[in-house]
Amino acid sequence: MYDFLEQNAMYIVLLIALIIWAGLFIYLFKIDRTLKKLEGEEK
Amino acid sequence: MNNIYKFGVLIAITLVLIGTFVVPIPTIPGLYDKARIIYLHVPLSWIAFLSFFLSMINSVQYLRKKDLVYDIRSNSAAEVGFLFTILATITGSLWAKFNWGSYWNWDPRETSIFILLLIYGAYFSLRSAIDSYEQKAKLASVYAIIAFVTVPFFIFIMPRIVESLHPADTIVDARGKITMNPVMLSIFLFSLFSFTLLFFWILNVKIRMEKLRLIRIQKNNI
Repeated sequence: MYDFLEQNAMYIVLLIALIIWAGLFIYLFKIDRTLKKLEGEEK
Repeated sequence: MNNIYKFGVLIAITLVLIGTFVVPIPTIPGLYDKARIIYLHVPLSWIAFLSFFLSMINSVQYLRKKDLVYDIRSNSAAEVGFLFTILATITGSLWAKFNWGSYWNWDPRETSIFILLLIYGAYFSLRSAIDSYEQKAKLASVYAIIAFVTVPFFIFIMPRIVESLHPADTIVDARGKITMNPVMLSIFLFSLFSFTLLFFWILNVKIRMEKLRLIRIQKNNI
């Protein structure tokens, strides 16, 4: 297990970074959509 | 902002991350794979500088036109800039741990970014201490203009006039000649571009949020 993690360290870091980025993107996208709805209600 | 822009940002940042961790880089003595941090750390610092600059520009506009929209833009830019400064500090600190052996060494570069965080921390304290919108906007605008004067000094000048361990000449040398490997340079420039796109999206969301908040407060007061 340790050998696997050591040999593929870059790919594991990439995977974690991509998961964080996906979470951030979904969060930002949702806020944007909610804002659009609220702006529509204000008009 | 339309969905093409948002999904464009998604693809661009994903490609940057893949380029950062997968594309082979030339051997750089003393740095090796740790040099990959440049793809993320420098764009984060660039965004911090850009947002503080936009904050200053909007503050000048507010003082000229007395329109609260400019104050909202200035405050939002400063908040996003503060966030990116913290992210640049964290990435730099992680790199320092593996290159210098400690997360924090009070190197001139670290000290200057710390002072910059304090300066903009004081900006938010100032804003939260005043209730009147007009007075808050006026004082904060003046402060944001003065605060920005220190930004080029702390980001570009101070770390160069004092002896620092922070790598210099990694992209261009003192004579303006590009020193970076062409493959690294293209990923680096693409990363700068992608993070700039992401920044404008975040800033757009923040500004719209603050505008809605202001409209609701004004409605409740009537």
